[in-house]
Amino acid sequence: MKSVPKLIRRFVGVLMISSFLILIANISVLIIIGLQHSPNASPWSSAKNAAAALTKTENGYQLSEQMAAELAQQNIWAIFIDNQTHQVVWHTDFFPEGIPTQYTLSNIVSLTRGYLNGYPTFTGEAQDGLMVLGYPKDSYWKHMYPSWDYHMIADFPKIIITFLAVNFIIIFVIYMTVNMKLLKSVKPIVEGIQNLTTKQPVHLKEKGLLSEVSANINRTSEVLQSQNYQLKRKETARANWIAGVSHDIRTPLSMIMGYAGQLETNPNLTKAEQNQAMVIVRQSKKIKNLISDLNLASKLEYNMQPIKWKQENLVALVRQVVVDFINTDIDQKYPIEWMTEETLTSCVIYADKDLLKRAVSNLIQNSINHNEDGCNLYVCVKKEQNQCAITVEDDGVGATKEQIEALNHTPHYMVCDDNTTEQRHGLGLLIVKQIVESHHGTVLITNRRHGGFSVTLTFPL
Amino acid sequence: MGFEYLKQKRILIVDDEQELLNMVATILREDGFQAIQTAQTVKEAISIANTFFPELAILDIMLPDGDGFSLMEQLKKQSDYPILFLTARGEEEDKFRGFGLGADDYMVKPFLPRELLFRIMAILRRCYKEDDPLVKLHDSEIDFARAEVIKNGIHIPLTAKEHDLLSALYRNAGRIVTIDALCEAAWGENPFGYENSLMAHIRRIREKIEANPSHPVSLVTIKGLGYKLIVEAN
Repeated sequence: MKSVPKLIRRFVGVLMISSFLILIANISVLIIIGLQHSPNASPWSSAKNAAAALTKTENGYQLSEQMAAELAQQNIWAIFIDNQTHQVVWHTDFFPEGIPTQYTLSNIVSLTRGYLNGYPTFTGEAQDGLMVLGYPKDSYWKHMYPSWDYHMIADFPKIIITFLAVNFIIIFVIYMTVNMKLLKSVKPIVEGIQNLTTKQPVHLKEKGLLSEVSANINRTSEVLQSQNYQLKRKETARANWIAGVSHDIRTPLSMIMGYAGQLETNPNLTKAEQNQAMVIVRQSKKIKNLISDLNLASKLEYNMQPIKWKQENLVALVRQVVVDFINTDIDQKYPIEWMTEETLTSCVIYADKDLLKRAVSNLIQNSINHNEDGCNLYVCVKKEQNQCAITVEDDGVGATKEQIEALNHTPHYMVCDDNTTEQRHGLGLLIVKQIVESHHGTVLITNRRHGGFSVTLTFPL
Repeated sequence: MGFEYLKQKRILIVDDEQELLNMVATILREDGFQAIQTAQTVKEAISIANTFFPELAILDIMLPDGDGFSLMEQLKKQSDYPILFLTARGEEEDKFRGFGLGADDYMVKPFLPRELLFRIMAILRRCYKEDDPLVKLHDSEIDFARAEVIKNGIHIPLTAKEHDLLSALYRNAGRIVTIDALCEAAWGENPFGYENSLMAHIRRIREKIEANPSHPVSLVTIKGLGYKLIVEAN
């Protein structure tokens, strides 16, 4: 959006410079036309030439034939006034009536400067007289009293430069004023459009030339705001709905789990009946995990989960999760091996402890869920140059290459806007991804080298 | 595990769901608790507390005539005893609020009976350790009230740190306690770099409680993770 003021500046600049250039071009054209209209042989030089072409012979004066023809062709008459007598001693054949033959000094001054009987006259000096050429009436307009201040002529180049400079300054001032006015009216509009893109509310003054544009931007902003509000409301409603459902399921599920848990260890029941109770407990636990996953996933998705940033020691955090699992795994069906190097005692990052614990326990739970017959788990925290990696692996059933590929790259059905009926996988890994993303980390899902499943979470230090 | 003296404690359970009250009461009774009272509302809970003098209260957060947090404050005004929240609200803010106000533990529904019993026992052991009889180990006995170990009839005193560490292990008897949790119990929050000190203390504790400290049977190491205290049944 910075380009808009630039565009205006350039536009006005081009306008100003072109008007200045047009001015210069006009002056040049005028000069060229003026030069073209004054014939090479100006009347003054013609008169001088005519004077030179007149020779004194025994029979009086004689004009060269070439000059005589030239004069005749242009309808010019000529007289020659003798220096001594002030009498016309020679004239062309074409000699209009009323032209005097005797001249006083004042007559001569007058005809040199101006006209004789309406004919523009030009004089050329000869040895013993004055050659006078009379051009046809209305063929020339003569400056009768041409005289200029000496300094003006002497300083002519300076005057021209000053003149141009003043013009240039005036144009520049106009440019600046126009520019500023235009920018001032455009600036709020540009800012308004910029704010629109960042979803901020926009209220422009609907005044001036661009009031219509401002009004439209205001309307657009209102529409966007209300749409955002509606969207947010929908998202909140959806997250609240999920939270409500998961809340309402918890109490009845407590009773199922509670009584089934008691039956599981009731010595009055047969082994088969105890096993049935065990299945109820196990499946109830799955429902429990599912509803809390669903709740957290929806909150993370709609940014409704507050993240409490604190410095946390990843080694201690992961160790606690592992120990919690070992402590509850009474039958030792899922032994967890702690693979972290003993020298690594701390690896501190900014994190939300509860969320990260959730991510790691989801990974362990994931391995347990997919290996009903039990498996060994391997958990490792590694500190590298500028990152910290948590790896959770198992030696269980693992996954196919295609499944791994899909887990790494396909969006989860919960955050996918396709109308898909295919349920790809549980929420456990989605939550892990959401949590790790909120911590600016990465998730890498692979097959373990010696068979089994492996997930590595990497966080920047 | 022999904690019969803790089973004598009076327990008040408050929840708006009658069936859940019955279930929790059954679970507790079957485990040996005898003094159990239940209430469905804040009002009922307070009136029972006035005559029953509970030594542990298990509270739900959402009650028909108020919330569990304010009920806890009212109960604590009367007498300071441990509170365990048992709720369907899993939100983290609630958890912090509960702990901030002085709740001793927090459990989200649904739960398994053995998990609930373990938490209750852990709270009772922590809060009523003064009237704790001797804790029987394989080769010795611990007297927490007097901070000493009795091995082969000889009374060996425990240092403050050793007492803290053993208490933390005893509260979670039979379970692994992480290195970090033990360091926190002995040295407070954010205990970085105390791992070596911890190992030294554990060695000294073993010298006091084990017959052969090089081959411990009561205080066992879980490599890389932590330690576990194994308590003998009475």
